[in-house]
Amino acid sequence: MQTNRPLTFDFRLLLGSGLLFVVLSLAWFLDARQPDAVELIPTLTGKPEYCLTCHADLPEISASHPVETFGCVSCHGGERLALDADLAHSTMRGGANPSDLSVAEASCGGSSCHSGSEADDRHHIQRVMTSIQSTYAGAIAGIRYTFGAQTDLNAHLGIRAVTDEETKTGITSLSSFDPASEENPFVQKFGENCLTCHINAAPREGEAYARGTGCAACHSTGEHTLSTAIPYTQCNACHNRGNYDLRTMTFIERSDHPTQRIDDYYQPIGLFTRCEYTLDCVDCHTRSEVMGDGDIHKDQASIEYVQCRTCHGTLEELPLTRTLTDPNDIAFKLDFLNPVMDLKLGDTILVTEKGEPLWNIRVLPDGTYEMIGKATRQYFTFRPVMGTACEQKPDEQESHYCHECHAVEK
Amino acid sequence: MRPSFFHHLHPPTIPAAQARWRYTLGAGGTAIFLMIILGVTGILEMFYYAPNPQDAALSVQTITYHVPLGWLVRNLHYWSAQLLLIVSAIHLLRVIFTAAYHRPRRFNYLLGLALFVLSILLDFTGYILRWDMDICWPLTTGTNLLKTIPWIGNFLFRVAIGGGEACSTALLRFYTWHIFGLTILVVILGFWHAFRVRRDGGIAVPPARLRADNTRISRNELVRREVLAVLIVGILLLLLSSFFPAPIAPAMTGKPSAVENARAPWFFLWVQQMLTWGDPFIFGVLIPLGVLALLTLIPYIFPKPNEAEIGSWFPKSNRLAQIVVSVIVILVIFLTLLSYAN
Repeated sequence: MQTNRPLTFDFRLLLGSGLLFVVLSLAWFLDARQPDAVELIPTLTGKPEYCLTCHADLPEISASHPVETFGCVSCHGGERLALDADLAHSTMRGGANPSDLSVAEASCGGSSCHSGSEADDRHHIQRVMTSIQSTYAGAIAGIRYTFGAQTDLNAHLGIRAVTDEETKTGITSLSSFDPASEENPFVQKFGENCLTCHINAAPREGEAYARGTGCAACHSTGEHTLSTAIPYTQCNACHNRGNYDLRTMTFIERSDHPTQRIDDYYQPIGLFTRCEYTLDCVDCHTRSEVMGDGDIHKDQASIEYVQCRTCHGTLEELPLTRTLTDPNDIAFKLDFLNPVMDLKLGDTILVTEKGEPLWNIRVLPDGTYEMIGKATRQYFTFRPVMGTACEQKPDEQESHYCHECHAVEK
Repeated sequence: MRPSFFHHLHPPTIPAAQARWRYTLGAGGTAIFLMIILGVTGILEMFYYAPNPQDAALSVQTITYHVPLGWLVRNLHYWSAQLLLIVSAIHLLRVIFTAAYHRPRRFNYLLGLALFVLSILLDFTGYILRWDMDICWPLTTGTNLLKTIPWIGNFLFRVAIGGGEACSTALLRFYTWHIFGLTILVVILGFWHAFRVRRDGGIAVPPARLRADNTRISRNELVRREVLAVLIVGILLLLLSSFFPAPIAPAMTGKPSAVENARAPWFFLWVQQMLTWGDPFIFGVLIPLGVLALLTLIPYIFPKPNEAEIGSWFPKSNRLAQIVVSVIVILVIFLTLLSYAN
């Protein structure tokens, strides 16, 4: 039997069409709800990226890394085209911190950036990798020697293995320190409890200890900020936190809440002169002291060399100076990165005994010195020791002798 | 009213029994509709997809996030492909469980089986075209399985991959197979399959003399039902595509490499699970091919059911085939679930 039903109104088809229309509208609505993508094509890569769709409100990270030039992906990695947060962030280097030393080479390195040649002074990452801040070699050697795990105080182990074939210190390599393979329980405990103050390690919990790892440990001085104007508070996150109790191998947090800067130092027995609690650490301590000089050093003392006399000279000698005649002098570069001095050709600045410029200290025509705080931009003047009534013996010129007279009573 | 072209694709009337939902499940027609969606969305994707290792995953991201309604097109393509496998499997099971595969439909059964295998290969090659981190393991494992085949393994590997290892040449080959080689086969076999459905007397039902109900429906009614099916599947596709985005992963950097928690696409999970048991040639090649061979031989090794039982579910005269195929289906589902559990 054949049924040739004519085309008639069919409620099912109407309902289906209506539902299809609703679902299509829903898809359209979902599409319209997507945020408008914000495209950025950094001049350095020439490849579009869309991070600013969500991150437009982040401050520029530094004047040296303008977002129009670098974009975000050059440093942070990530999926530059993705507009889904999970996918976009999935391949970011070092999570929120691309300067973590495990990824710094990929994020910050490259011969034109921070892992270039020593001659171009672009070997920052190599310097940091071998620096005491990263190897923690002195503390490891000291503890292992104290508890009989090694027979001398020389550095053999670091937080991670490093090599330096062109060493000037005689230390060509450090093996990786593995607390689990240590036999002495104190050394093991040291490994468990006391390895939070090198820049590979995540900091202890608490606002006072807040810092990044890697380059950011020092240079990230605020949210999404990189700076060479590093205030002492940044250093305090590690260097002013409390003390290790070597009997129990535990860290004792400081419990006081100092209100004056002079009280804000962690060594209760330490002596400090006025400039030491007025200036910032970076006003005196140099780049190579803090970031390393590219060689592996055995401990902190062997890389730290700036003394009071570096700036003030002695009774018999004025501090070392250099008159800037080469426009490519590193001092100009450093002043450019943190423009506090406006150095000019012909200016005479102080230099250290290793020739590192103290580029924020300029010699004035009357033989005194002017200094501008790198972090505070405060203006100071000071005199050399020569010609004063200082009674220090000529062969006792280390800073601790200066402290005997000039330390401020707490 | 004069029938339109689309109406003319259908016979003027067909037995009502051939067009009952609860008999056909609408699976074959739905598969055609899904293939059309796949063709249209696939062509749209081709306007943006870049089949080279540097840009492939990025172009997928571009489609997903930056092309107007690109996300919808990609999700529709993805969900159509997944549904196609499910619908094809249901179609195959319907044919087996209603004993519809015997002469004169035996050849069309083989065409359908070939279409099913081609659909799986199309799904796999499409999956590989993402060229992101998630495809590394399936790509290297899947292609290395070819190598385990004695004598011709290396040759097959070279044919599939094109080079010494799964790298840039592989992507271009998968692309060409996906959009051209396999697709054109599907189109040819698909038309042949549909042609044979009509040539073989429509969907399997008992001969008119043995039929309890000899009602016929017009092509108007048939088309009406097809449109209704299309609307339902279309709504389902749009809902899936709107709320469950197609998987995407970070772009691959460098050559494909094994990653942790690597997982094959869902339709190969049962093979992946077997691969954990031992010899890849036996578990990854021989057994899956054995299953395929068994399915191919079904019309040949099992007796022809009674004419009166053709076109009804689970005919008694066809029990053995039902049991064998049910065991295979249960095992495949069980292995798939086991793989998910691991």
